[in-house]
Amino acid sequence: MKTIIQATNITRTYESAGEDTPALKEVTLSINQGESLAIVGKSGSGKSTLMHILATLDKPSGGELVIDGKHTHALSSSEFDNLRNKKFGFVFQQFFLNARNTCLENVILPLNIMGMSPSERNKRGRAMLEVVGLAAQEKQRAGELSGGQKQRLCIARALITKPEVIFADEPTGNLDSENGEHIISLLFKLQKEEGITLVIVTHDTDIASLCDRSITIKDGQIIKTL
Amino acid sequence: MRILDIIKISQSNLFRAKLRTFLTVAAVFIGALTLSLTNGLGSGIKDYVNEQIGNVGAKDTLIVRAKQEINPTSEEVRKYDPNRKTGGNFNMALLGSNDIEKIKEIPGVVQVTPQYSVRLEYVFTDVDQYEASATQYIEGLTLAMLAGTTVQSDSTDTVTIPDKYVTPLGFNSPEDAVGKFLMIAFKDAAGKITLKHLMIVGVQKQSLLGNSGLNISGALAKEISLMQTSPIPGMTDSYQGATAKYNPSFSATQITDLKQRLDQAGYSSQTIEEQIGTIGTVINTILIVLNVFGAITLLAATFGIVNTLLMSVNERTSEIGLMKALGAKRTTIFSIFALEAASIGFWGALLGVGVSMGIGSIVSNIATQTFLKSFVGFQLVSFPIVTSLAVLFGIIALAFIAGALPSLKASKLDPIKALRYE
Repeated sequence: MKTIIQATNITRTYESAGEDTPALKEVTLSINQGESLAIVGKSGSGKSTLMHILATLDKPSGGELVIDGKHTHALSSSEFDNLRNKKFGFVFQQFFLNARNTCLENVILPLNIMGMSPSERNKRGRAMLEVVGLAAQEKQRAGELSGGQKQRLCIARALITKPEVIFADEPTGNLDSENGEHIISLLFKLQKEEGITLVIVTHDTDIASLCDRSITIKDGQIIKTL
Repeated sequence: MRILDIIKISQSNLFRAKLRTFLTVAAVFIGALTLSLTNGLGSGIKDYVNEQIGNVGAKDTLIVRAKQEINPTSEEVRKYDPNRKTGGNFNMALLGSNDIEKIKEIPGVVQVTPQYSVRLEYVFTDVDQYEASATQYIEGLTLAMLAGTTVQSDSTDTVTIPDKYVTPLGFNSPEDAVGKFLMIAFKDAAGKITLKHLMIVGVQKQSLLGNSGLNISGALAKEISLMQTSPIPGMTDSYQGATAKYNPSFSATQITDLKQRLDQAGYSSQTIEEQIGTIGTVINTILIVLNVFGAITLLAATFGIVNTLLMSVNERTSEIGLMKALGAKRTTIFSIFALEAASIGFWGALLGVGVSMGIGSIVSNIATQTFLKSFVGFQLVSFPIVTSLAVLFGIIALAFIAGALPSLKASKLDPIKALRYE
């Protein structure tokens, strides 16, 4: 099976008040194409920091990260931008939708950033809204949606570029349990259908148990791999 | 991201905080209005002055005066010099006949004519007497004549009058006045009123040359001046100035050299163009001061733009973070905000320049119908397209620069920090 992300001895330290506080200590991890991986841990364990580094949103203080066979030291900032835009999709706990814009405008934002023509991106946007069951809400403002609808919109936005990896950071954190379950099943269904790699950061062991693999982080180190 | 999308986002950002955008645009508008109006006024006046210079004639004439060395506000008290000729309220240095001879001998000078000053008491054709002044006509000078011609240099019984005297003196039209007679009255040295009978040969329009008085020939000016000064010792051969003709084929550098020679000999000299230009310079100085006020207003507006943009960036921190996380380039984020700033500049400047054009044309129309009526072809406020575009793009550029700092701040936002929620 092809390795899509290979992290070796990743460390990340934050400087605060003149002291270096380690958030990650020599984490080594490889993620295979098409698998689903849960990163489990308590708040402050370093699980989000690990996800940010894997998703190239943050740079490691030490160690080596290879994405799709490419060493990330060698990448320019615009290559990082392209990587995140085309190969990665993001689902955040707090949605980060533009409340004043319509659902369609929100879902096509990554295509907009990519520079796709309006007719093409609108076509793909509508198709994607259909997939997550929000076709009727196309022209509705995102701010008017319910929590579950918002997260479905976020999933649509994450999938619209046909990414290789989806990073979901506590995707059910702001949802009630019923909506949470719907979102998780939708996420896994689409992941399997499209053969996408899924990385979920969660503190919920039930969600973790649905993944092919799960790692548990504590104090910046992997303490358990399942 | 496509340029059109960047424009769309930045415009919708402007509409998001309507009141704030409106107030910032209003500040830019006031600056643009001031700047555009003063520029318009400046170019209106400059156009007129240039037109006057172009039409003035007497291309080969310098107006020569004694160098003025006394500063009336100076603390210095000068030792008396019996050879120095002075007169008037400020003891202005005057020219004498020895000066005329001296100027004649300066290489390059072809002919020197003294400029006599004449003081009239009144003029009349019938019963009513009117105040009037008279100036010596400079040979070769092109005056805007409504009727007739200018006076001949050797004629002692002709005169031209400004158009404002036509009706009071009882003529129906400028043409009607030509060929008619005018009586002038002046006091001789003993204070006795003397009358002289002159024929009107022309009617001139008022212009920046100051043709608000009668124009008489050099010969007549000399005659009257002698009568007014002859018994006063030392005043008989005093002149306010003189006109010196030079070789008409002289180049600009040769004229400059000639002026330098005159300067070394102790005389200040100006071509007639320069004399008209001086008026333009004074007006220009006033306009520069007004422009500075416009610029200060704009500077204040610039800080308004910086403030508006900083607020906009702060409000949209998570939105910027999201866009960066989704792969938006720093240049894209920078462009969105810089364009927002430039748009504020654009709308403010466009409205400012537009409204100033409106005000300008109204004021111009009123002016040409009232206090500038006698200045033919004087458009008080004019807006050359190049200047207006310069103001417009200058302000847009200024707004862009003002927006650069907040835009840079936005483009440098760390997506992790912007999206932090753990």
